[in-house]
Amino acid sequence: MTNQEVEKYRRPVRILHWVHSGAFVVLFLTGLVLFIPQLAFLAEDSWTRLIHRIGAAIFIIVPLLYLVINPKAAVRGVKMAFTWGIADMEWLRAAPRYYFLGDEKAMPPQGSLNSGQKMWWFLTIVCGVVFILTGLVMWFARTAAPAALLQWMIFLHAVVFIVAGAMFFLHLYLGVFHPLMTEAWKAMATGKISAEYAREHHGKWYEEVSKSKEQPAK
Amino acid sequence: MTNHWGDIANSDVVMALGGNPAENHPAAFGHITIAKERGAKLISVDPRFTRTSSKADVYAPIRSGTDVAFVGGMIKYVLDDIEANPSNYNMVYITEYTNASYLVNTGFKGPAELEGLFSGYAGGLNETDGTKRKYDKATWAYQVDDKSIPKKDKTLQDANCVFQILKRQYARYTVDKVNAICGTPRDAFLEVCKTFAASGKTGKAGVILYAMGTTQHTNGAENIRAYSILQLLLANMGVAGGGIDAMRGESNVQGSTDFGLLFDSIPGYLGMFTDADTSRQKYLDRVTPKNNDPTSANWLQNYPKYITSLLKAWYGDAATKDNDFGFHYLPKIETGKNYSWISLFEAMAAGKIKGMMAWGQNPAVGGPSSNTERQALANLDWLVASDLWMTETMEFWKRPGVNPADIKTEVFVLPARASFEKEGSVTNSSRWMQWRYKAAEGPGEAEDDLWMINKIMLRLRELYAKDGGPNAEAITKTNWNYGDPPDVHKVAKEINGYDTTTGKQIDGFANLKDDGTTACGEWVYCGSYVEPDKEPNAPVPGNRASRRDLAPDAFNTGLYPKWAWSWPVNRRIIYNRASVDLNGEPWDKEHPVIKWNPTKGETGGWDGDVVDGNYPPIAVDPVKSRYPFIMTSEGVARLFAQGMADGPMPEFYEPWECPVSNQMSSQTSNPVAKVWRPDEQGKPDKYPIVATTYRVCEHWQAGQMTRNMPWLVELMPEPFVEMSNELAAEKGIANGDKVTIESTRGKVTMVAMVTGRFKPFQMNGRRVHEVGLLWHWGYSGLSTGDSANILTPHIGDANTMIPEYKAFLVDVKKA
Amino acid sequence: MAEKAILYDASKCTACRGCQVICKQWNGNDEIIPSPSSGDRVAVKSRGTYENPPDLAPDTWIKMKFTEAESSGKMRWLFTRRSCMHCTDAGCVRACPNGTLYHNEFGTVSYNKDTCIGCGYCIPACPFDVPRLKGNRITGIAKADKCTFCTTQGLDRIVEGMEPACVKTCPPGALAYGEREAMVVLGRQRVDLLKSRGVGGANLYGENELNGLHVLYVLEDSPGAYGLPVNPRVPGATIAWKDVIQPVGWAVGGLTILGLGMNWLVARANAKKEEK
Repeated sequence: MTNQEVEKYRRPVRILHWVHSGAFVVLFLTGLVLFIPQLAFLAEDSWTRLIHRIGAAIFIIVPLLYLVINPKAAVRGVKMAFTWGIADMEWLRAAPRYYFLGDEKAMPPQGSLNSGQKMWWFLTIVCGVVFILTGLVMWFARTAAPAALLQWMIFLHAVVFIVAGAMFFLHLYLGVFHPLMTEAWKAMATGKISAEYAREHHGKWYEEVSKSKEQPAK
Repeated sequence: MTNHWGDIANSDVVMALGGNPAENHPAAFGHITIAKERGAKLISVDPRFTRTSSKADVYAPIRSGTDVAFVGGMIKYVLDDIEANPSNYNMVYITEYTNASYLVNTGFKGPAELEGLFSGYAGGLNETDGTKRKYDKATWAYQVDDKSIPKKDKTLQDANCVFQILKRQYARYTVDKVNAICGTPRDAFLEVCKTFAASGKTGKAGVILYAMGTTQHTNGAENIRAYSILQLLLANMGVAGGGIDAMRGESNVQGSTDFGLLFDSIPGYLGMFTDADTSRQKYLDRVTPKNNDPTSANWLQNYPKYITSLLKAWYGDAATKDNDFGFHYLPKIETGKNYSWISLFEAMAAGKIKGMMAWGQNPAVGGPSSNTERQALANLDWLVASDLWMTETMEFWKRPGVNPADIKTEVFVLPARASFEKEGSVTNSSRWMQWRYKAAEGPGEAEDDLWMINKIMLRLRELYAKDGGPNAEAITKTNWNYGDPPDVHKVAKEINGYDTTTGKQIDGFANLKDDGTTACGEWVYCGSYVEPDKEPNAPVPGNRASRRDLAPDAFNTGLYPKWAWSWPVNRRIIYNRASVDLNGEPWDKEHPVIKWNPTKGETGGWDGDVVDGNYPPIAVDPVKSRYPFIMTSEGVARLFAQGMADGPMPEFYEPWECPVSNQMSSQTSNPVAKVWRPDEQGKPDKYPIVATTYRVCEHWQAGQMTRNMPWLVELMPEPFVEMSNELAAEKGIANGDKVTIESTRGKVTMVAMVTGRFKPFQMNGRRVHEVGLLWHWGYSGLSTGDSANILTPHIGDANTMIPEYKAFLVDVKKA
Repeated sequence: MAEKAILYDASKCTACRGCQVICKQWNGNDEIIPSPSSGDRVAVKSRGTYENPPDLAPDTWIKMKFTEAESSGKMRWLFTRRSCMHCTDAGCVRACPNGTLYHNEFGTVSYNKDTCIGCGYCIPACPFDVPRLKGNRITGIAKADKCTFCTTQGLDRIVEGMEPACVKTCPPGALAYGEREAMVVLGRQRVDLLKSRGVGGANLYGENELNGLHVLYVLEDSPGAYGLPVNPRVPGATIAWKDVIQPVGWAVGGLTILGLGMNWLVARANAKKEEK
């Protein structure tokens, strides 16, 4: 059964992921200009600000759309990010050896999202919300909001930018470049991963999926 | 003004009364600022707390139209203080340089005895009959000796001397009366008195700055008289840092007044010709002042020289000894008839005037009772109006609420050039004639005023020569020869005057003659434009108005005698011989204007400013000396002035429209002011609130120059009405609300400015409200709004007929 | 080049607002007039005050503030200049992400309008609430504006050796301009003079505030009475932004990339080892 494949991510999730991450990349790059003065020429005449706002609109609207179209899955997904157990702690302890040395002895079997992915997912939600709230204030309440509030909005926006930006690199790296994460990319690109990869990397989830093969998770 | 702008810096006390220089004369305020830097105190007296008040050391509120009561109270304070502390005052000045010691006819009675009237009134109290609203002034005359020289009592004790008459009249002007009439709190009033009276000390100087808040009243001229009396008692005339300074609203108002702007004068403040003047001699007999006092210079006895030279300038070779220098060419006015603003518009309303030229004037906004005057314009067959922008006057036929088809007046608009677009001179309040050059061409078809009047005059002369007409020689014989296009230098040279035989420019009016050998367009300007070799270093050689040399004067008193040219004869402070004692020593050693120098020349001479009458000091040479005020016939300044229509000394009367009865006498309003429209008099039962009008820094006069200027419209976009918090609370008005203000003449809507800077007047326990309206607006231009003058009455001052814009009655409602 | 400064003397100012007009005229700033075509500009109307336009704006770099104060029956009308103070420790310069706002050779705060990205971070960073953003709220395309100390690009008076336009025009002489040290001396003299004349509350504002302002004020009362911040400070968040957030961002970003690179090298080496 080495060629057997299981569906990891359904199409709506994948579309959500790619559109949202596309928006994030746009937002990230247009925001990065503020941190790298040498790139400021790109921002002249505020074109990056226009692009940033278009990106922001997508960044806000797409998850909301998903929420409207598939509320159950959305709620389940969000819940997942906030559900942490002992296994997750073990995973975090074992992760460095695994990711550097490929030593997976201590790694507990993982669900659909391993603890690392869950951490990323958690940060995506928290940072996303902070981004959106602070961004909306800066966008629409610039004249109405008191200067001090605005300042802290700018500050928070920048803080989450750093956090999310750093984590984004990690996510990109693990998803695309890390030698062991061979199929993570495929999972999000095509939706399917090999059963072997699923068993190795998401053991717990694979068991569940195998049990209810006829009914993949919604 | 008798001094000049820079001289304000020499003052020890500056009193702004009837004016708001920080608001309306911001450049002038710079001089006040310098005075303050040097330690001067600034007093602001105004119905509301103004921009000037904000910089003042002392502020006192005053109900509009009560200046005579206020200043009368100050006069009483000073008279009382002179008695108590004579060493704080310059008694030599008062005794020797004013008519305080002159004895007045024993038949004279003042308002203290005659219920607010002076002896000789033709009617009774509150007379309304037009023919009886005047005085027979026989009892106002001086007592004279057998040589017809006025009698004097230098001890000032004689009951009939001016000083005692003054005391009797103003004894009634107590602090309580001032409070009851003006609504000025007693302590604020006393602080003003104390602060300003300090300038009475020998060597100290105080100046009064005034503007339209003083003059635009039914007793406007008497307001100025009251200032004069105060300033003379304080020895503040003719000295550095003294004077009564009219702050002009326009860069060349002084110049236009010098050149016969008013109907009763011709250039040089010479009297207008009337139909009774059947010959030059009869005219001169009427106007030339006479005085037999050998110590009085009575400078105006030179009238024949000035009028003859003027006729030579006007009619040139057509004016000869044989034809009385063309005197019969001149058009003349009807004796006793008034041709001032209100009279003209009343005549226009009555259909008697057929054509009008409005030159840089906007009567539809600036005139009183705008609705009346706008309607009167429709009675004209033609109207010529010249301005930089389209004005309300030009567009009166399509103003809101009228049907253009109903108005038959033909309107001609002459686009004009701004001051920067033409060459010529302007004369400022300092009497400085300053030459200006053209900096830019005018837009489109715009032309300068001289070009326009030249074209009109040349064409008229051609038409009269061809077709004739009534009194055609008045125009056909004129010596109008400035070229086409005209050369403004030719005009300026004619104003200065020239020798008719040699053609050379004359240097100073002392050289004018009455035999036709000199011509001069304006005798007080003689010396302004001389032969080039007499003033070679001026930018325009010979043209002293073009001088821009900042060399200081001999005593460094800030005269700058080589900057431009000041009439008369470049004198910077007139009556400057009043600034020295009987020996010619300056009263004020720090700021000398002139000083007698016994070593100068053979018999001594004066150093400093151009001396006002080159005579030795009285103590040096009593025979050759002359009194210092050479322009009055008696040679001294007048505390008591017979020339006034409404009394030799100012008596307080309420404005024509007043909220209370007169607390000083039973004579309510000025008994000699002409009442045009008695049925338009507002009464306090229906219109209980006092109103006044004023301007703001951001706009100018009737507004066409500033309401079309976006930057200024931005600063002050709409007219407002200023009122107290108390009045607003009574009327349920909030700041920024639209408010309707109504008088018997009409109503306007404006934005309310509710402020703590305006307070109700507590007049001896009685509360009276006042509001202030901006009057710059009209229906034409970029920024439009209601004209405050829709509310103002058609009544004027008894002497000058200036309209009473500054005090009238209204009611105020939330719109 | 020595530092320059403007000395504003509230005791001399009559609030004629000639400065407001000349500022717009010299710098080519549009007036805000009440017309339907004024578009996104605020239409002006009389609001029952001498103050207009209502506030500083991208086209209004200076505005006089009028304050009525009445105490113990004595009325006062205080006038204050509202414009850029050209601080030495300038919040806007700290907040500006790309150096558009900078201290020029005269110590005053200039800006390069071409490089302004319109982020508007300078606005809340200013302790005096001075910079304004002109642009489209929705698209975010914008430019910041404020008083340039007459170093406006193409209209630079200072480099040409002239005084700022507002100083040039001031009729009552309430504005002086020169080297900052001289202005401080002049300001102290004025304060001493006012004190000697009984104005006990006279003080010089801006000498030490924010390490020295380049617009100094001679006041007759406490700064608070004029509506000025009594002890202006650059807000903590602004200091955090430039001094903390930007370096931390660089550090975190750099460390992350470094860490990932190391991981890749190690992990790949291990993977290869296992393959063997």
